[in-house]
Amino acid sequence: MKTTEKPRVHQRGLLEYAAWALCLLIVIGVAHTLATNENYQWGVVAQYFTAPTVLKGLVLTLVLTALTMFFGTILAMFIAILRVSKVRPLMLLASGYITFFRGTPVLVQLIFWFNIAALYPNIRIGIPFTDVSQAVDVNALMSATTAAIVGLSMNVAAYLAEIIRGGFASVDKGQLEAADSLGMSGRTKLWRIIIPQSMPTVIPAVGNQVIGMFKETSLVSVLGVAELLQSVQLIYARTYQTIPLLIVACLWYLLMTLALSYPQSLIEKKYSRSKSRVATGAAQPQLPLDATVGGEAR
Amino acid sequence: MTDVSNDVTNNPANSVTGGVTGGVGTVYARGLRKSFGDRVVLDRIDLDVKCGEIVCLIGPSGSGKSTLLRCVNGLEEVDRGVLRVNGEDLGFRETDNAYQALPRKELAAQRTRIGMVFQQFNLFPNMTARENVMSGPVLVKGTPKREASQRADSLLASVGLEGHGEHYPWQMSGGQQQRVAIARALAMDPQVMLFDEPTSALDPERVGEVLAVMKDLAERGMTMMVATHEMGFAKEVADTVMFMDGGLVVEQGPSKNVICNPKEPRTQKFLEKVLV
Repeated sequence: MKTTEKPRVHQRGLLEYAAWALCLLIVIGVAHTLATNENYQWGVVAQYFTAPTVLKGLVLTLVLTALTMFFGTILAMFIAILRVSKVRPLMLLASGYITFFRGTPVLVQLIFWFNIAALYPNIRIGIPFTDVSQAVDVNALMSATTAAIVGLSMNVAAYLAEIIRGGFASVDKGQLEAADSLGMSGRTKLWRIIIPQSMPTVIPAVGNQVIGMFKETSLVSVLGVAELLQSVQLIYARTYQTIPLLIVACLWYLLMTLALSYPQSLIEKKYSRSKSRVATGAAQPQLPLDATVGGEAR
Repeated sequence: MTDVSNDVTNNPANSVTGGVTGGVGTVYARGLRKSFGDRVVLDRIDLDVKCGEIVCLIGPSGSGKSTLLRCVNGLEEVDRGVLRVNGEDLGFRETDNAYQALPRKELAAQRTRIGMVFQQFNLFPNMTARENVMSGPVLVKGTPKREASQRADSLLASVGLEGHGEHYPWQMSGGQQQRVAIARALAMDPQVMLFDEPTSALDPERVGEVLAVMKDLAERGMTMMVATHEMGFAKEVADTVMFMDGGLVVEQGPSKNVICNPKEPRTQKFLEKVLV
């Protein structure tokens, strides 16, 4: 073989072989116990996997995730804008909100919202200093589901606001100066320059929050909202088949998380690419991602 | 509202110091001082840029050239002194005993009449070349999109970028991006153009195309202040050259005098090193 044509190869290290062996051992061990330990009761798992109660719970979990992320994002955008405001009291209000909601456990917040009627049994919603008003019975209004949506939205909004603020901060200072030099108003600058340019940073992070929220909704089971976890709890309270039903819930959580991860990875790929283009400011050849790390080295 | 206040600031009789100190297309300054914390970066700066005059600011890095341009555009606020651009006190209104800061809206209105070109281009990466050029007229002045788009295309053509309207900044070379940036500034019909080292971030072979556009602009009578390291451009195109060092104007005068026959030893030393 001609010396100029010899391939360059890398030998796998001993550690890699050892790691493969360990991997194999773990997989075999887990598979063995799953198959032989009858307490798993796989038959019960299969029986309840698509039970109407469980599916109803799953749908409610998905709806809760969608609603809380929707309201949370709107609220977060508003808080993030206040957070970067040059008007100091507004900035302080926003950071106070963020500090409070990130600094207390979400479980406590949820229970708190559920019991808010103890604090304000009646509120009058109306126009201040006029007779136009409407009394609202808070106890009736704050059902478990409402408390769940309010609590989760307000909590996630604090985290999302920080993500959005980070996105705002990632916009190059020169962009703001260019906008200023054209005489753009603060609002135009925000909506036309800062927000569009912070999306590559913000959207992947929000996607991660969606996946996180999907699992976080299980907390509202303590309020008695019949989402996925609460649905299986209701069943095993009756049948005492605790483990198999928790496995049912886990399998659904895992499946849906995997289903959400795929679009998330596409989103991340898309934005990381456009971001690197923006950062270098120069045209780059569009290599397919595999081409750069391919071949024998792996 | 804005129009009324502009009339007021434009009216020399209203000025406490009195006397005409420039009009549209001029930059006038007396005793400007600017510091960042304890560090004085500009001191005792006087400017008398006439309408249509080309002024080049030269000097070592950190001499204050960029800061001076950023002050003239209102990106930085001066600590002290008089600064009038297009005949108006920039960002402030003179009262009996103080300069009162204008609302941000009014400073923004003043800025629309001052064009700025940055060393790093600062094109909006989320917009095409055409959208970049349209951004000022559409988003600030409310020009209808069709009209702004046509104007943008003719401006792009005037900087030699016909047919590049659909390209995004990352698809263009540095020289092309900088020319789009010039077109974007011109789209606002500014009366004064400021260039902050416009060719310093370019590949050497791309410098010429940007300088050619600037030279063309100079010949059309635009008032320009250019911070640059391109001595050839300064000598050929500028009416006045100001040599700055340590935040001070060390020497100024007609471009050929300053560059070919500098009087100050500091200027001589700088030029000896640059003009090898």
